[in-house]
Amino acid sequence: MNRLDFHTKIAALQQLDKTKTVQHRIGICCGAGCISSGSEEILKKLESEVQQRGLSEKVEVIPTGCMGPCNHGPLLKHLDQHTIYQKVNCTNITSILQQHVIEQTLIEDQLLFSDSRTNAHADYRADPFFKKQCKIALRNCGKINPESIEAYLLQDGYKALDKALFEYTPEEIIGEIKHSRLRGRGGAGYPTGIKWETVYKYVNNEKYVICNGDEGDPGAFMDRSILEGDPFSVLEGITIAAYAVGASKGYAYIRGEYPLAIKRFESALKQARKWGLLGNQILGSSFHFDLEVRIGAGAFVCGEETALIASIEGKRGTPKPRPPFPAQSGLWGKPTLINNVETFAAIVPIVLKGGEWYSEIGTAKSAGTKVFALAGKVNYAGLIEVPMGTSLREIVFEIGGGMQNQASFKAAQTGGPSGGCIPIEFLDVKMDYESLLSLGSIMGSGGLIIMDEHSDMVDVARFFMEFCMDESCGKCVPCRVGTKMMHDLLQKICINKGTNKDLERLEELALYVKETSLCGLGASAPNPLLSTLRHFRSEYETRIHPSQDTVQDKNQSG
Amino acid sequence: MNNTLSTTDPRTKLISSKLKKEAYKADALIEVLHTAQNIYGYLPIPVLAYISKSLHLPPSRVYATVSFYHFFSLKPKGEHTCLVCTGTACYVKGAQQILEKIEQVFHLKPGETSKDNKLGIQVARCVGACGLAPVVVLDDEVQGNIVSEEFTQTMKEKMGLL
Amino acid sequence: MNTIHVNINNIEIPTTADKTILDVCREHKIDIPTMCHLKGLSDVGACRLCIVEIEGMNKLQSACTTKVADHMIIQTNTDRIKKYRRITTELFFAERNHVCSVCVANGKCELQNLGYQVEMDHVRYPFLFPQCEVDTSHPWYVMDHNRCIMCTRCVRVCQEVEGAHNWDVMNRGHAVRIISDFNTPWGESTTCTSCGKCLHACPTGAIWPKAIVQGQLEKKPEIIEELIEKRKMHDGF
Repeated sequence: MNRLDFHTKIAALQQLDKTKTVQHRIGICCGAGCISSGSEEILKKLESEVQQRGLSEKVEVIPTGCMGPCNHGPLLKHLDQHTIYQKVNCTNITSILQQHVIEQTLIEDQLLFSDSRTNAHADYRADPFFKKQCKIALRNCGKINPESIEAYLLQDGYKALDKALFEYTPEEIIGEIKHSRLRGRGGAGYPTGIKWETVYKYVNNEKYVICNGDEGDPGAFMDRSILEGDPFSVLEGITIAAYAVGASKGYAYIRGEYPLAIKRFESALKQARKWGLLGNQILGSSFHFDLEVRIGAGAFVCGEETALIASIEGKRGTPKPRPPFPAQSGLWGKPTLINNVETFAAIVPIVLKGGEWYSEIGTAKSAGTKVFALAGKVNYAGLIEVPMGTSLREIVFEIGGGMQNQASFKAAQTGGPSGGCIPIEFLDVKMDYESLLSLGSIMGSGGLIIMDEHSDMVDVARFFMEFCMDESCGKCVPCRVGTKMMHDLLQKICINKGTNKDLERLEELALYVKETSLCGLGASAPNPLLSTLRHFRSEYETRIHPSQDTVQDKNQSG
Repeated sequence: MNNTLSTTDPRTKLISSKLKKEAYKADALIEVLHTAQNIYGYLPIPVLAYISKSLHLPPSRVYATVSFYHFFSLKPKGEHTCLVCTGTACYVKGAQQILEKIEQVFHLKPGETSKDNKLGIQVARCVGACGLAPVVVLDDEVQGNIVSEEFTQTMKEKMGLL
Repeated sequence: MNTIHVNINNIEIPTTADKTILDVCREHKIDIPTMCHLKGLSDVGACRLCIVEIEGMNKLQSACTTKVADHMIIQTNTDRIKKYRRITTELFFAERNHVCSVCVANGKCELQNLGYQVEMDHVRYPFLFPQCEVDTSHPWYVMDHNRCIMCTRCVRVCQEVEGAHNWDVMNRGHAVRIISDFNTPWGESTTCTSCGKCLHACPTGAIWPKAIVQGQLEKKPEIIEELIEKRKMHDGF
């Protein structure tokens, strides 16, 4: 399909949409969370109910991606009136159809948050959970059918690719991305534009683009939700990146634990190929690009770029020392661009609205928005997107609706096993790369777990160390043996058998592993330990029994 | 050990068609292993030998890859699987208590399969449904907001043990 | 190739950009301990003993995998590096079951030498005492996993020089083990040519010939490099 045909087809789609008589578009959340609470069945029930009552011309039922407040699901959203009903089931769905849609009366006691807020809002956008948010990467999530390219096209889908291919040179796109100050959302926060430029500058007729969807952090589900809720936007972002850096082949590496994300992304690939938006001569231009899905097989370390490359090559996912960086020598030794799912999802809006627009959101050093997977002991857990620099307090107490069961806030864990814990004293910390780093934590990929007074911080450190120990690839000594040693020492302290000497060794090992490990997994594995030592040292000290120190250290070398 | 697969076995045909689809490229190893595990439920050594031969990969290289990834299993799994998520959100909300309750009721620890091969208990490092923590995946079905007492009852019902 | 200049431990050294930091150090008799490096084999940067400080880089880099660049300023023996090398050595000893006094390699062991080199008088960390097998199924050789340090020199020599690829690594984390074929006993391997190169590449007493007794092990790791050089010479025929 050439550009002209594409435009004609889009115009026809828009025309068709305008002539629709539908007054009520009802979205049923079919994100992984709501599906597990039975939303697919509800969807079917509603569809048949609409059919039976002869409402098909007036009511359209749409399966959508994640709407946000996952722990209140299954959710139903009236897409035209912006009303969300919570905890929908196969019984009350008929009364919602009857009362809200047909009789136009609000069912107040089933509105979202009606059980916890004194006045639940009929327009969900007025609720603090949504009001504080700014959806860019999640702009289509929970709004459109993620399995329909037509639905995506009607939301200005592929307009950015069209613009990129015919109105911009690769240099100009890279310039725009640099100008946006977008930084990698996978955790490290490396400037995306500079990464693209580096790959672009290496001259090679074979280059690759990889989308990192190996979301391994326990407690994180941003990439999953984006892939499930808006796969086309990720795909379009990848395609634009490929054009910008000069790659003709790409891979999307998606965690095997996410079958729905894999299914939806593969369906997106198929439809995009059909529309000529993937493959040879995209939109009639000279640009070729195709993409393959690679399914992860369960290894956290594969989130590390060089390990991910090894895994795509069909090998053990063990990292390699850098330099050389993948931008120079990556997949099969060729220049390779690797970005995270969320980073790719931000590309389309940046190309459409310009780098300037994006750079004005957020803080001076961290531009734009960040998606967080808010979970743990907050009232409203789920998927949120906020401008960089939003305070932790706003996220926990306004968006998250405060602590569950009136418990008191103790700590927020960010960055998963590579991150740290933020104590109550720093509740006003701005959520951006620099501020979190200064507290000994990291932004990470966006997992945000809220803990209350019942959480034992030494055990939290042990929990993460156990994770790193299990996930260590075993290649380098500091990570392979060091994480095991640190875990055993933490275990010892947890059961009140630790000594001051153990604590001393633990700190020494933590620094050693951090500085000498081969890859990022090892280098960041001590972070939860170091951060809990920094902010909750007394919890360690109260478990140490000085009397143990007098016991002779019996270890001798062979 | 008999390391050959029967060529008339329909499962062998499924694997060989996957191998063909991937053009016998060595880098397709993990993709082929996914397919094989879907077909057999686990990865028996004769299947690995067949794949190793077809992709011209040394046996140790295939075994090394299989044993690296958590997804691949060299042992048969139970008829029913109960996968307890031990990600951070589930940990904070009591995944450990669920595992304890399961051990108490079924006498099985993570990674173990019952003697009659009916039930296997596994743990996962986050299934990405943190909003519903604590979460258990029972026979591929995600169940959220688990209360351990009720849950073991559900498990029993599911497995027809009542 | 153009001459470049690097500064190692405050000494200016002219060299070329195709070399690694380790190459340059070895050429100029600057001592850097290594375990996973063996001349002639590809480098993996796994043992982390050869870490060095490079000005302008906030991370320590392994000398065996990092190429020199013009005006690079390198420190190979700071207090921090010495401390970390000692910890690495202690972790090697604590990881498996190393008992020098009864080992075939006693007196000729690279790990034992490393212990002396970093002045390790005792191990401050708890020994892990893992259950490790001793594979005696091969008619001539023994693989004792108790003494293995996972340097993977045997894996690489078998793959890169012999071309047999009998060895590889299974599992991950501290559960990693060297395996032959499908984790089959070495004696039943279908790929091993019994060439014995792994035995010479192994830095400890993990792989040894049955014909010798304790303390009499003679290993010739340099044979690997010689082999490669000799092969190059025969290229013209």
